[in-house]
Amino acid sequence: MSALKICTEVAGTVWKIVAAPGATLAAGQEILIMESMKMEIPVEAPRAGRLVELRVAEGDVLKEGDVVALMD
Amino acid sequence: MGWEKEVDELRERQRLAQQMGGPERVERQHAGGKLTVRERVDQLLDPGSFIEVGSIAGKSRYDEAGNLESLTPASLVIGRGKIDGRNVVVAGDDFTIRGGTNEGSIRDKLTRVETMARDLRLPLVRLVDGSGGGGSAGMMDKDGHSRVPGYLGWDLVVANLNTVPVVGMALGSTAGLGSARVCASHYSVMVKDTSQLFVAGPPVVNRLSAKQYEKNELGGSQIHTRNGAIDDEAESEADAFARARRFLSYLPPSVHELPPRVPCDDPAGRNVDWLIEAIPREDRKVYKMRPIVEAVVDTGSFFEIGRFWGRGVITGFARLDGWPVAVMASDPMHYGGAWTADASRKVARFTQLAQLFHLPIVHLVDIPGFLVGLDAEQTATIRYGVAALTAIQQTKVPWCSVIVRKAYGVAAAGHSNQSRYSVRYCWPSMRAGSLPLEGGIEAAFRAEIAASPDPQAKIAELRERLQRLGSPLRTVEAFAYDEMIDPRETRALLCEFATLVAPMREAGPSTFGYFPL
Repeated sequence: MSALKICTEVAGTVWKIVAAPGATLAAGQEILIMESMKMEIPVEAPRAGRLVELRVAEGDVLKEGDVVALMD
Repeated sequence: MGWEKEVDELRERQRLAQQMGGPERVERQHAGGKLTVRERVDQLLDPGSFIEVGSIAGKSRYDEAGNLESLTPASLVIGRGKIDGRNVVVAGDDFTIRGGTNEGSIRDKLTRVETMARDLRLPLVRLVDGSGGGGSAGMMDKDGHSRVPGYLGWDLVVANLNTVPVVGMALGSTAGLGSARVCASHYSVMVKDTSQLFVAGPPVVNRLSAKQYEKNELGGSQIHTRNGAIDDEAESEADAFARARRFLSYLPPSVHELPPRVPCDDPAGRNVDWLIEAIPREDRKVYKMRPIVEAVVDTGSFFEIGRFWGRGVITGFARLDGWPVAVMASDPMHYGGAWTADASRKVARFTQLAQLFHLPIVHLVDIPGFLVGLDAEQTATIRYGVAALTAIQQTKVPWCSVIVRKAYGVAAAGHSNQSRYSVRYCWPSMRAGSLPLEGGIEAAFRAEIAASPDPQAKIAELRERLQRLGSPLRTVEAFAYDEMIDPRETRALLCEFATLVAPMREAGPSTFGYFPL
């Protein structure tokens, strides 16, 4: 499987990082939580795999479509 | 002696036409991961149901003695057949002949098939695989003059949009007129990797651009199913045909009839126990709306349309006790369910579709308002939002809204059609108002807060008081909303709604007034 870019579907602030690089994720498992429109909106693994890299930190302000992580 | 010789000659010509562009081009079509037009027609329709029209239309060459030397069929295969036993009309481009271009071929077939669908009042499926206008420079050379653009038959295309369900499928590289024929539809689908949609493809664009585009990069499904040009993306052509068949299953053959009910073995009174805890008590926590939709409609009946664009609103068809309905539901996972410009466009388009084919609308509402911020202003959110609200108020189909959580601001006025009686329910988790308390308190009580020796304490005090007043029990006590329900009983009430309003559905053409898109 090739590297999979994980993007945020909403603009906002990275509120909380949930998964650590190297973690094995199930499909639908939370990677991080964005704060947008005063709501906590999770960014989830679209499929099972390993979290290779986190590209953002808590407090970062992101645009819609920004890459937040890489999975293998 | 009878007419066997002529029938034999007809069969021979049909055999020649079935060869399409010849073995080499058919091979090339397959090598590109694509089916031929005849394979597509066979896969789309019920087995053996295709009745072709113009089966030997094409360019024939005769020798001096009057014997047929060759026959190149028209690059458009048309006819009728059945989908799940119901009649439909099909038009399929043959890319193996002149790249599926229409203009260079027998143009009358194109208008004929649109006329057939309109006048037989049957759904039309366009299998588009080509560049549409095609070879304009070549045509000019042949004609000896230029042409003013005007698509022969566009009047029919437009008439069909108001008369019969139209499915537009992009099954290869579609550009110009080809892509217009895909988008001039009620449901459009393209196949991942093997189909593209362009105003103009890389050969034209790359001459004007420093960056050189590969075709999927310029017009692949990852672009057009995210911007709303195309409703859905299919994994394969087979998947695309399955989607087309499913889409049509909820609709009448034309606006002159009503959508059919199907037998249902899912009990209408089935309670859904987990819905009592579907909505988190903490305001900031989101939840997944799709499982809620799937739980309340007839099992397995939800067909989502436009999954990847306007994502704050989920739209699709479903059945309730066998009755087909149009479902809209907020998706809090996307900006908390706020209406963006795209979500508003999606609502307007979907509302129009439901009205056109007489589908009652069920709306599961969690709308915190329009999206706010600079992006929202730059994308003209209020303009498209107003279009959506105007479209909703102009519908004549029955509505049922269930406010499951938030209903704030102007956008939430679109929870139902307020121009007529709508069935209106809310869950105990409803929170409603013109502004959420956050920010709303500061705006409404500015003077009071400023005059207070401890403004923060004042805000906290006001918040606590207003939160108590925000209980939906108080709202329904004041009859400011119709009825609060136990979420577990939602399915039973929606099924009751669908049965109740079935006789209110009225067949016939729809007239929509202006809505400011």
